[in-house]
Amino acid sequence: MKNEIPADALKLIGMEKRREYGVTKKDIRRFAQAIGDPNPLYYDEAYAKTTRFKTIVAPPLFCQAFAFEDVPPEQLLPDGSPVEADVPIPAKRLVGGGSVFENFIRFKPGDKIVVASKITDIYTKQGKRGRLYFIVHETCFYNQRQELAAKEVTTFIKRM
Amino acid sequence: MENQIHGTDVVAVGTKLDKLVKKPDVKQLFMFSAITWNRHAIHYNRQRAREEGLPDVVVQRGLIGNFFAQLLDQWMQDRGDILRLEWKVVRSAIPGDTLTCSGVVRRKFSRRGDTLFECDLEMVNQEADAIAKGVGTVRFNN
Repeated sequence: MKNEIPADALKLIGMEKRREYGVTKKDIRRFAQAIGDPNPLYYDEAYAKTTRFKTIVAPPLFCQAFAFEDVPPEQLLPDGSPVEADVPIPAKRLVGGGSVFENFIRFKPGDKIVVASKITDIYTKQGKRGRLYFIVHETCFYNQRQELAAKEVTTFIKRM
Repeated sequence: MENQIHGTDVVAVGTKLDKLVKKPDVKQLFMFSAITWNRHAIHYNRQRAREEGLPDVVVQRGLIGNFFAQLLDQWMQDRGDILRLEWKVVRSAIPGDTLTCSGVVRRKFSRRGDTLFECDLEMVNQEADAIAKGVGTVRFNN
């Protein structure tokens, strides 16, 4: 129900933001520790050489480490919720959502990662406890060869 | 580990993946928020989480996705790739929960000469409440 979404919010659809980072061994090792995955493929070069990858590679959902926009803290909402879901709609609490993650090329140390993200849709539905607003956010992750390495589509759900 | 595979030809629809049990604690939630630069207070500020009606700080949706990814990787043993993972959190998980991830092959199909498997995924807590559901598509490399 698009006509119930404020025009200021709809204007944000399709506005792409891009940023670029370098992938390091440290990023991969710490991400693996954070997700509780002890696979030596993520930190042991000698082991990694024995695998089909021949080098350390990142865990499948590693791009999550670069997905949230790293705006200065003063630009965050009071609850610190991701700015990706900060759109002018009559709802403020982030109450859930879902993700679809597609993986095409594994990142490895030394790679460049270009993050391109945009809102692709905003819509609303009546929920059991009030109106719910859905913000669909797409993030594409490219490597230094401009190849699409991964893509995540996240649906944020907000309500009052 | 009876369900670890030795050849994709022997994997049939209905095959169950070995379960994976995860016990996230506050430290893990902190580390995952830090590495993903997720500054949402419901993942580290217990008072704030409770003010929002949550039982405690809650496990990040992204971390739950990684638990599903580990379930699939455990099955494939570095011999395959996760091409697609879709998941949805249906109930909040909190530190101290015991989360059991399970999966079952629901579809086997060919694409450009590769054999792909689509698996239904589920995560439950120690009370057998559903926490998350998902679908993972994987490809084995020969």
